[in-house]
Amino acid sequence: MIEFKNVSKTYSNGTHALKNISLKIDKGEFVFIVGSSGAGKSTFLKLIMCEEKPNGGDIIVNGKNLSEVKKHDVPYLRRTMGIVFQDFRLIDNMTVFENVAFAMHIVGASTKEIHKRVPYILGLVNLKKKANCRPSELSGGEQQRVGLARALVNNPKLIIADEPTGNIDPALSYEIVDMLNEINRRGTTILMVTHEHSLVKHFHRRVVEIHDGTILADSAEKQEVRHEG
Amino acid sequence: MKANSFWYLLKEGIKNIWNNRTMSFASVGVLISCLLLTGAAVIFSYNINCAMKTIEGNNSIRVYMTQNLPTLSAIRVGEEIKKLDNIDNCKFIPKDDAIQRYMDILGDKDGTMLQGMTGKENPLPDAFEVSFKDLSQYKDTSERIKKISGVESINDYSDVAEKLTHLDRLVTTVGFWIILLLSLVSLFIISNTIRVTMFSRRVEISIMKSVGATNWFIRIPFIVEGVIIGLISGLVSSLLLITVYDKMISSVASILLFAPIAIESIAWIITLAFIVAGTLFGALGGIISISKYLKNEGGEIVGW
Repeated sequence: MIEFKNVSKTYSNGTHALKNISLKIDKGEFVFIVGSSGAGKSTFLKLIMCEEKPNGGDIIVNGKNLSEVKKHDVPYLRRTMGIVFQDFRLIDNMTVFENVAFAMHIVGASTKEIHKRVPYILGLVNLKKKANCRPSELSGGEQQRVGLARALVNNPKLIIADEPTGNIDPALSYEIVDMLNEINRRGTTILMVTHEHSLVKHFHRRVVEIHDGTILADSAEKQEVRHEG
Repeated sequence: MKANSFWYLLKEGIKNIWNNRTMSFASVGVLISCLLLTGAAVIFSYNINCAMKTIEGNNSIRVYMTQNLPTLSAIRVGEEIKKLDNIDNCKFIPKDDAIQRYMDILGDKDGTMLQGMTGKENPLPDAFEVSFKDLSQYKDTSERIKKISGVESINDYSDVAEKLTHLDRLVTTVGFWIILLLSLVSLFIISNTIRVTMFSRRVEISIMKSVGATNWFIRIPFIVEGVIIGLISGLVSSLLLITVYDKMISSVASILLFAPIAIESIAWIITLAFIVAGTLFGALGGIISISKYLKNEGGEIVGW
C-alpha cells in the first residue's frame, strides 16, 4: 500500500526532516506513527499526500510512484485517501450533513448519491441524529467523528489521521480509535499519528517511531526478528 | 466537469457574493462608474463624428453682410457672389428670417425672450447661404467672397470641423487614460473583494485540497463571483447610460446642428458591450486573485 525506499527530505531552510528512511505498510494495516514534535511525522504525511516532494528515494502509494505523479494528477491521488485533522477542520456555517456532503460534492457525486451515502456514514460514526446540528453545537469527540465521517465518505483506501485525539478528552480518544479500528476491520488501511502512548499500548497495533528524521523503532520488524529467532 | 459539480459551484459563487455583500456592493459601484465613464466617452466621440460628417457633408457657408447694409446693396453683393466660378447656389437669408429662426430654436414663439430685437432693432445682419460646386476649391472661393465689398465675415465650417476633430482627439486621449485607470482600479477592487472571500474560506479551500479537489474546482466559485459582480454592473450601467442619454438627447436635440445618434440604434450595443466588458472584468478579477492565492499560500493544506 505504502512504501518508502531510502527517502530523504531536506527543506529549503536546511532542515533535514527525513533522513534516508525505508518503510513498508501493507494494505489493510493499522499503523501508529509516534515521535516527538519536529521528529519528521508531519513531513512523512506530507510526502504521502504529495504535499511535498522528496529530495531522494522513492515513495509508492497504491502502486504509484509519487515522483512520477504529475501535479494535475495529485487531486485524483488524494481522492483515494481520507484525512482526519487534529483540529477537526469543520466548516462552522455548515451542518454536520453538509460538512460530510462537502467532500462528496468535490468528487462530483450526484445529489441522489449524497443523500444515500451521507446518512449511512453518519450512522457508522453514531451521528445520524445530529445531522442538522452545526459543529459548534457538538462536543469535541462528536466533532472529530464528523471529521472521520468526512474522511470516510468517499470510500478511501487509506485513512491518514493526524493526531485525531489531540484535541479531545482522553476518555473519548478510545472511542475515536475504536472507530478507526472498526473502519480498518472493513479493509481500509489506517495511518495514525499520535503522541498518546496509552492509546498505542492499549490497541496493540504496529508502531513506527520516528525520531530526528529516522525510524527509531518499528514493531513489525521486532516481530519479524522474534519470528526468525 | 459533471453537471452536479457545475450547479454546486454556481451556488457556491452566489453564496460567496451574499456572504461578502459589502465588498461585492463596493465592487459593483466601482465597476458601474468605470463602465459609465467609458460608455459616455464612446457616445460623446460617436456624436462628434456624426457632427463632423454632417458639417463635412454640408458644402455651404454662411456669408454675413456688414451691419446696416441696405437690403438692395446686399442683393448686389449676392449677384457678385453668383458671378464667381465655383458657386453652385446662393440663397439670400434676410435678417428678419434669421431672428425668426433663433426664436424657433429657443422656443420663443411669442418673442418674449428676444423682445425688442425684431424689425429695425434686429442686431443680426443679412446673410447668404452659399454652396460650392467643387469642395477642393473651398478655401480659395471663401477668400474671394471675403474680398467682396459689403461682406463682413463668412462662417467657415472647416474651422468648426477642425475644432471638433481636436475635441474628439482630446476626449479620446483623456477618455483612454481615465478608462485605463478606472479599469485597473476596478480590477484591483474586484480581485480584492474575491481575495477577502478566499481568506474567509481558506479552511474550506484547505479541506477541498485534502479531499482531492482540482484547482479548477476551487477556482470556479470565485470566478462565478466575479462574473456575477460584472454582470450586475454591466446591466445597471447600461440601463443608467441609456436612460440618461435618452433624456439628455430629447432635451437638447432641438438646439443641435446635427442629428445625434438615436438611442434605439445603440441601446442593444451598449447593453451587450457593457455585459461582456463587466463579465470579462469580473472573471479576470476572480482568476487573478484565486490563481495568485493557489500559487502561494493556498497551494498547501493549511496547518501541516
